[in-house]
Amino acid sequence: MTAAPVHPARSVLACGEVRTCLLPSLQALDIRAAAQLLRLRADEPVRLSERPSMHALSPAMLTGVDCRLPSSNGSKVRGVGTVAARAALTEGRLLQATAWFSVPATGPDLRRPWGQYLVRPGLVEPFGKLPEQATADGVLRGAGRGELDLGVIAEGLLAQLRRHALLDRRVPFKSSPTRLRWVARREPAGERASLTSFTLAEAGLRTMELRLPADVPAASAAGLCEDLALHDWLLTTVQHMLDNSRLGAAGGPSVIETLQPVVVHLLHLWMPRAHVDPALAHLWDVLEERPGFSRQWENLSRRIRDRLALQAVAAPQQALSDAR
Amino acid sequence: MLIFSASDKGGTGRSVTSANLAYHRAMAGDDVCYLDFDFGSPTAAAVFDVADARQATEDHGLHAYLIGEVGEPARIDVWAETEHQVLRFPPPGSGRLVLMPGDVSGGEFATSEDNLHRCVDLLMNLSYEFDLVIVDLSAGRSYAVDMVLEATAQPEMSEVTARWLVFHRWTRQHVAAAASLVFGKRGILAGGVERGHGEEELRNAIRFVRAAVPDPESPLWSQVSPTQSAWMRKTDGDLKQLASTHGIGYSMVLGSVPLEPVLQWREQLITDEDVLDSQIANQETWQALSRLAGRLTDDKYWEPA
Repeated sequence: MTAAPVHPARSVLACGEVRTCLLPSLQALDIRAAAQLLRLRADEPVRLSERPSMHALSPAMLTGVDCRLPSSNGSKVRGVGTVAARAALTEGRLLQATAWFSVPATGPDLRRPWGQYLVRPGLVEPFGKLPEQATADGVLRGAGRGELDLGVIAEGLLAQLRRHALLDRRVPFKSSPTRLRWVARREPAGERASLTSFTLAEAGLRTMELRLPADVPAASAAGLCEDLALHDWLLTTVQHMLDNSRLGAAGGPSVIETLQPVVVHLLHLWMPRAHVDPALAHLWDVLEERPGFSRQWENLSRRIRDRLALQAVAAPQQALSDAR
Repeated sequence: MLIFSASDKGGTGRSVTSANLAYHRAMAGDDVCYLDFDFGSPTAAAVFDVADARQATEDHGLHAYLIGEVGEPARIDVWAETEHQVLRFPPPGSGRLVLMPGDVSGGEFATSEDNLHRCVDLLMNLSYEFDLVIVDLSAGRSYAVDMVLEATAQPEMSEVTARWLVFHRWTRQHVAAAASLVFGKRGILAGGVERGHGEEELRNAIRFVRAAVPDPESPLWSQVSPTQSAWMRKTDGDLKQLASTHGIGYSMVLGSVPLEPVLQWREQLITDEDVLDSQIANQETWQALSRLAGRLTDDKYWEPA
């Protein structure tokens, strides 16, 4: 007699966390080196694209979990399954790691053999009924002790990559990593995906809520979030550099030294939607409307170019008056 | 750049001076991170006046991170979370000032392979993020000292500049103890070489800071009798001689901080308000801290002695 067939459970929620940081390498990696860096598995290739910008995406790695799901109200629901994680490298310069899982509304009350979890990568099943709202809020708030922590899985992958022998472990300028936590509620197939909220929380933390039709895979949502996190990192980092009110003033840092790395390493990275699933690309429009990501970026890059232009005008004059 | 603050004994003003240096550098525009590796008696939260934020981060501080109980150590944004009235309003153009607290419950622990990797990862990531990372180590040849010696000897960390400050008070015992902490048989230097550091290189990365140094010329002592005054001068001279015979003479000293009543009675940051408005702290202390903060990254002071 065979065991009862296991129906692929329909997920009601997908959750993830993206970490974004500068690759610790003085020079940006070329596409071959990028492929080498992200070759996490021998059996699956790295996905590479060179148009419109250089982007390398590692195969997904699985982490088996059996622990409490994050919760905002103290409900203790055990979850068993696998969390998927992957890394992305954009223009050989910005490194990202994402960990994510989907979760169905209910699951069996007993643990099954691992093989059955492994055939459904990226799915974590709750014991009994899933407290959907509490879990979503818990993920956005961050896992407590003993709860499933996506940040730790993403950070572990980043740490592994940052130790890679290809990298010289030097950075062209200082910058802070950012974290983006996201939850996507499932809608019936055929509905249009929508963005419910995008919030800047404390130091480097962003949270995002989505509605995602059932026919769009969770990996696509992860891709959208990586794209948003990358552009948000660019805005945050460049803004922090320009925010220094002593920039160029006496006793403050020099304009050229501070802004040169932005021009060399960052200005060309702005390419929204470049590697996003077409079914989700329209979600960018919401953020372009308000707060206006690209508007802010254009403004920042104009400011940088103007500052450098002013500096260039001033330099020959200074040289002339020194010569007199 | 990484700065490790060490001392042979407690009560040398190591933590409070290091915290003041972090504060000065952040005000000067650097992004600064202060790590409280003084496991067992973490004091940084009190110095930065972030007791409430400290409560909220209980049990996921550095100690819990290093032994693998949490994925990341807690961070406290000092400007935003401090209860200190002056610190709440840093001057425009100031850099970030972040505190990574230790754990109140966390004691010393042995360095294992895993702890070491976590320590290396942490120090590397912070060096990518901050201009200056100040690590306050527990007194003596503690596990904390061993761990960072081991971590900085790893090939991964060869590109990161690491410097050591050894704090001591201006007494015979403290001078001898500080010298032995560095040059002794079980000292930092020997321990570093054992772990793969180059001796010359490590020696050149160590400087001493004399803390709570009474200046015989200070107005503080203007009322003492001529005999006392002469005795003070003589003792000061003898101490200088002693320091020099112990190999921690002038060329090995990064700076000294004068005896400051405010620091003696209460471990705190000295703000410009304490010096200029309420005048509870001495101008000389402020200047000494400011000089010392500047010298941390000034290569002129770190040339081979």
